[in-house]
Amino acid sequence: MIDQQPLAGIGLRASHMRELLARRPAVPWVEVHAENYMADARALASLESVRRDYPVSLHGVGLSLGSAGPLDRHHLDRLRGLADIVEPCLVSEHLSWSTSGGAYLNHLLPLPYTLETLGLIAAHVEEVQERLGRRILVENPSSYLRFRHSAMPEAEFLAELTRRTGCGLLCDVNNVYVNAWNVGLDAEAYLAALPAGAIGEIHLAGHVANDADGQTILIDDHGSPVAAPVWRLFERALERFGSRPTLIEWDTDIPELDVLLDEARTAEAFLAAAAPKDGRARAA
Amino acid sequence: MAVLALPELQQSFLVGLLGSEDMALLDLIEGDGLDARARLGIYRHHILTTLTAVLEAAYPVVSALVDRRFFGYAADAFIRRHPPAGPCLGEYGADVPEFLAAFPPCAHLPYLPDVARLEWAVHRAATAPPAAALDREGLRSVDPGRMADVTFTLDPSLSHLASPWPVEKIWRAHQAEGKDLDVDMTAGRVWLEVRATGDGVTVRSIESGRYALRNALGRGMSLGEAIEIALGSHPALNVEVEIRSMLEDNIFSRFTVRAGE
Repeated sequence: MIDQQPLAGIGLRASHMRELLARRPAVPWVEVHAENYMADARALASLESVRRDYPVSLHGVGLSLGSAGPLDRHHLDRLRGLADIVEPCLVSEHLSWSTSGGAYLNHLLPLPYTLETLGLIAAHVEEVQERLGRRILVENPSSYLRFRHSAMPEAEFLAELTRRTGCGLLCDVNNVYVNAWNVGLDAEAYLAALPAGAIGEIHLAGHVANDADGQTILIDDHGSPVAAPVWRLFERALERFGSRPTLIEWDTDIPELDVLLDEARTAEAFLAAAAPKDGRARAA
Repeated sequence: MAVLALPELQQSFLVGLLGSEDMALLDLIEGDGLDARARLGIYRHHILTTLTAVLEAAYPVVSALVDRRFFGYAADAFIRRHPPAGPCLGEYGADVPEFLAAFPPCAHLPYLPDVARLEWAVHRAATAPPAAALDREGLRSVDPGRMADVTFTLDPSLSHLASPWPVEKIWRAHQAEGKDLDVDMTAGRVWLEVRATGDGVTVRSIESGRYALRNALGRGMSLGEAIEIALGSHPALNVEVEIRSMLEDNIFSRFTVRAGE
């Protein structure tokens, strides 16, 4: 299993599906966006072929765990149906919201970190874990704003969420890096505040610097190689958490499959060099 | 700063992204050296560009016909008026043909909504689940006196559409193999059948009587009702030949004998 000897996988996108199936390259696992396989029978058939040779992780982007209303049961049922077919090695979602009043926005929108939000999202995580019959991982999103009435830092909010629900965390190191720049948080302190034993997966991706009204904002566009300072932060994360299954994501200007495989090999060199301690055994 | 409860904050945030921001929301956003509106704008930009790309992938011919920049302008208006109703983006965009039909800047392109309808049918066919195999033995054993009451579920990838414009030719002229095709805009009405075949999607023109019968069955009418409608508009239709052709084309995946009156 991928979390016994943590290895680096790649985010599998539609443009690489055919090539992956034809070449069957040596990559220890892949992750897909669950929503891309819920309403496309041909895509699902391809994913089932992938699954015969590779462990597959399901990464949801549409459950909207942080929405004030009830969870979309129909969507949760679809996720359950997909999980029954794929038997994923990991299932993850985000600390964010995307729907209100029946409209869905294709973005991981920011939440105020209040007790109100914590109670709501904890109930939703529990509902999802109950319906799927398994633990899920919750990912820290990239942020371009923060709310003045947030009562606790994001890392503490996530730590409390794991205590309440038993969920694991997906630490996106690139998101920690861009958020440190965009909304002024201390990346090292953020990693230190996360419960190491709860980290079940790490994400890595590229970002781009954009100008917004004369100020530089880092956009988490998953459109380039992992940046040097993000590799350094990844190293710090591994020191803190121990080795963890790590994923290379690439979603815009998607390059040749080999470029992703090379990035995954680089991540593996970091994983091999990291202390082989099991953070979970040492979990606070 | 007046704190908004989460339901109000999220509704206000959503309205702010698709329309205009209200002060109660802006007051809750920490500037950190950048205007709160500019911070919201980062989210809005991502949402609009991603959804525009989703629509362009489903409607490549419409986009080519109107020019990509104009398509982006129309998509922006469409997204704000019809944001996605669910999280699976492959299902987003069904309302584009009706939107285009009522979008004043496109009024001089009367064929555009029908091209869009054809593209949505192609998009649906490409993602539809495989058809179940028809129980032919069971169908043969239906009492001949009850055949008129049989209704069918058609192959889920199948669509029928008719247009006064040569939309099939327009569509084909934008496919890789149709680059040099001449399109005669005065060629008259077309009746089309769209369906997944093998790895691809087939668009083909069918005769109007055949269209009338298959389209009526696709709308859930019983065999008796569909034949009556088709014969009403096409008295010369050879019903026996048509039924055989539907079975040969394998367009049915299930049948039910409707309860008698």
